[in-house]
Amino acid sequence: MKLNDSNPIFSSYQNNTALYDEIFDENKNVRRTYEKIIELYSDHSIKDFVSLNEKAKASFFNQGITFQVYSDEKAQEKIFPFDLFPRILEAKEWNTIEKGVIQRSKALNEFLWDLYHEKNIIKDGIVPLDLISSSANYLRQMIDLDPPGGVYNHISGTDLIKHSDGKYYVLEDNIRCPSGVSYVICNRNALKRALFGVFNHYKIHAVTNYAENLLDIMESVKPKGVDVPNCVVITPGIYNSAYYEHSYLAKTLGIELVEGRDLFVEKDFVYMKTISGPEKVDVIYRRIDDTFLDPLEFREDSAIGIPGLFAAYKRGNVSIVNAPGTGVADDKAIYTYMPEIIKYYLNEKPILNNVPTFHCSRKDDLKYVLENIDKLVVKPVDEAGGYGISIGNRLTKDEIENVKKVILENPRKYIAQPIMSLSVHATYIDESQSFEQRHVDLRTFTLLGAEKAFVLKGGLTRVALKKGNLIVNSSQGGGSKDTWVLKK
Amino acid sequence: MLARVANNLFWMGRYIERAEHTARFMNVNYFSSLDAPNQLSQSRQFVLHSIMSMVGDDVKDKTKIKEEDVFYNVGLNPEKHYSINQCVKFARENANSSRDMISTEFYESINKFYHYVMNYPKEIFVRSGLHDFTTNVTEHTAILRGKIRGTLLHDEVYALIMLGINIERATQIIRIVKTKFEDAQKATGGYTNPIENSYEWTTLLKCCESYDMNRRFYKKPPTQLTVLEFLVLNPNCPRSVINSLNQIFYHITILDNLELRDKTSAAFLIGKMRSQYQFKTVEEIQKSVDKFIEKTLDTLVEISEKLEREYFYH
Repeated sequence: MKLNDSNPIFSSYQNNTALYDEIFDENKNVRRTYEKIIELYSDHSIKDFVSLNEKAKASFFNQGITFQVYSDEKAQEKIFPFDLFPRILEAKEWNTIEKGVIQRSKALNEFLWDLYHEKNIIKDGIVPLDLISSSANYLRQMIDLDPPGGVYNHISGTDLIKHSDGKYYVLEDNIRCPSGVSYVICNRNALKRALFGVFNHYKIHAVTNYAENLLDIMESVKPKGVDVPNCVVITPGIYNSAYYEHSYLAKTLGIELVEGRDLFVEKDFVYMKTISGPEKVDVIYRRIDDTFLDPLEFREDSAIGIPGLFAAYKRGNVSIVNAPGTGVADDKAIYTYMPEIIKYYLNEKPILNNVPTFHCSRKDDLKYVLENIDKLVVKPVDEAGGYGISIGNRLTKDEIENVKKVILENPRKYIAQPIMSLSVHATYIDESQSFEQRHVDLRTFTLLGAEKAFVLKGGLTRVALKKGNLIVNSSQGGGSKDTWVLKK
Repeated sequence: MLARVANNLFWMGRYIERAEHTARFMNVNYFSSLDAPNQLSQSRQFVLHSIMSMVGDDVKDKTKIKEEDVFYNVGLNPEKHYSINQCVKFARENANSSRDMISTEFYESINKFYHYVMNYPKEIFVRSGLHDFTTNVTEHTAILRGKIRGTLLHDEVYALIMLGINIERATQIIRIVKTKFEDAQKATGGYTNPIENSYEWTTLLKCCESYDMNRRFYKKPPTQLTVLEFLVLNPNCPRSVINSLNQIFYHITILDNLELRDKTSAAFLIGKMRSQYQFKTVEEIQKSVDKFIEKTLDTLVEISEKLEREYFYH
């Protein structure tokens, strides 16, 4: 089956074969997985898609599946754009991803335990000490503290991309408060409403079992001596941009959604204020950052935290999901050591690729980097938010010389990686009223409990709606797709 | 249930109900004045003053007010706490804060309602949109009540919303009675008998969506006596004060029926007020309507304050 130029819904589909297209191969043949859906979509006119797209947008808006954007005085409600063309992952492909993300989550958990206890990995010289000691996310309060069930990163969001070589690479591990899971479920519902017919032709794993598994995981890390734990979700409040997700999770988990002001600590136990008086709380799924959790222990000016919470946690009277202090393990510098970390704790080969990294602190690596700056992305290890990054193929000759100079001044401070390309996927574009190629990534959601691990079969495919843009974040005009994992 | 969320649910109920009464009051007063039988009832200024008085923003009797200002302030002005715009905004904000407790279906309806009100163009509203906007507001609130009854678990969540709705309803009904009673005193002489047969009584019943049922029940044109009896003491009239009190009493016992033993509790006060109303006669009220209205409003405020102290602030 070929990409048919006469097919009106793909009329302005410019198949750039330099990019990895998830739907069409380099000869413009439709990949096997997508044959049926292309056939079904071809039955629709572009007018159908225009109206379906409008309806989907209205439906998200009316349901209040929105986030707040603040601009000049006025707060505006925006929907997270949803795309009508689903991402399809084959069973085999997914198996590798699933095994891979569980492996990473487990390794990160062991790594965190080690960092806050014996620090063997540092003593053995695998990870340099200054990487940890210089990290603002390493919480000294967590040293020698045993989190209930021995779990730190109960919830991990792993960001994956498919490079132009057709292989998956992990771009980032998110183990603080990864968000987006509610959109996985909303996207599925929206696509079902809009194009239910296509679901008859594919056997797809459901995504509705996330909440029950999360509750299992939360209950599995209950404090000692508690029979049936009282679990809650804590949110910064209705003005938080992810409030929809917080309320969605609480609702589907069937537990209370609390704010800091609803809780208090007495004699190192946590209680919530109910209409019939105080009620003890045992497990807290927190959607507020570490430093805001407890004004007595972290930021004094936190108005959304609970004074005394950390003391209760230390005494083992309450569980916090994810544990405080996980941020030390998911930053860019640690990322580059992930293959070594997996090997060290699990004695396994990494299942998922890391983007290869050159450490300028190593002599051979430095030599390679200096000779190939035009093909590399150079990043400082200790900066966040994209500062100080240079992308080789966008630099002039003078700029390259300048980057070289900067690296040589302090080689330890820099790492370099090949320039990665995100795969592209057919995406409905409002302006041109047609499907076009857009870059996508994939965020998976992994749950880790005292005795089990679970990966949501699906995930959030984020798509950069601006042409040529590689940044898929919603704040940068990104949208998302329903993501199907096929049964065998 | 969290005390804060209980507070949110209670006030959500109140604001939904308040929006509806305000919308209906504007609509009925304005449109019934267009062909009213006497000069004063027909006067635009008279009607506009009446509307401002109902929302509690009284204007001095002789002051001339602009129709567009009144419409805008009571309907859409985000700066006026009593405007329908603000009621709906607060209702939805309270729904947001308790979103995990309510159904998706109900939330979707309140969210749509919110966007409808927020996006209603001011220019159209003040010139020609009064009927369209206010009837849509009452439609939306009816849908909300249906979703509350039909999609929520009838437990504490439901009881709290119903408490809010019914306390607000009793308050608004008695406020509407008060406003129209004052109007009737000014606008006597529409028919042969002065105050007893004032045209304002018909308007009053229509403001409370009770005109048709009143006619069915008494089979005569409304008089001060039958209107008061119907809107205050008839337990079968869904808008009557006694009906609201019965509802309030029923729902507070769902929340906690042990509180009834404590004579300082909200539940006890509600029970007491309800019993007094149950055996009151309209003749007793008629002796001093002003005082009766004041007393009713005061007790409702006291109940609301007691509820807040007992359930919402721990």
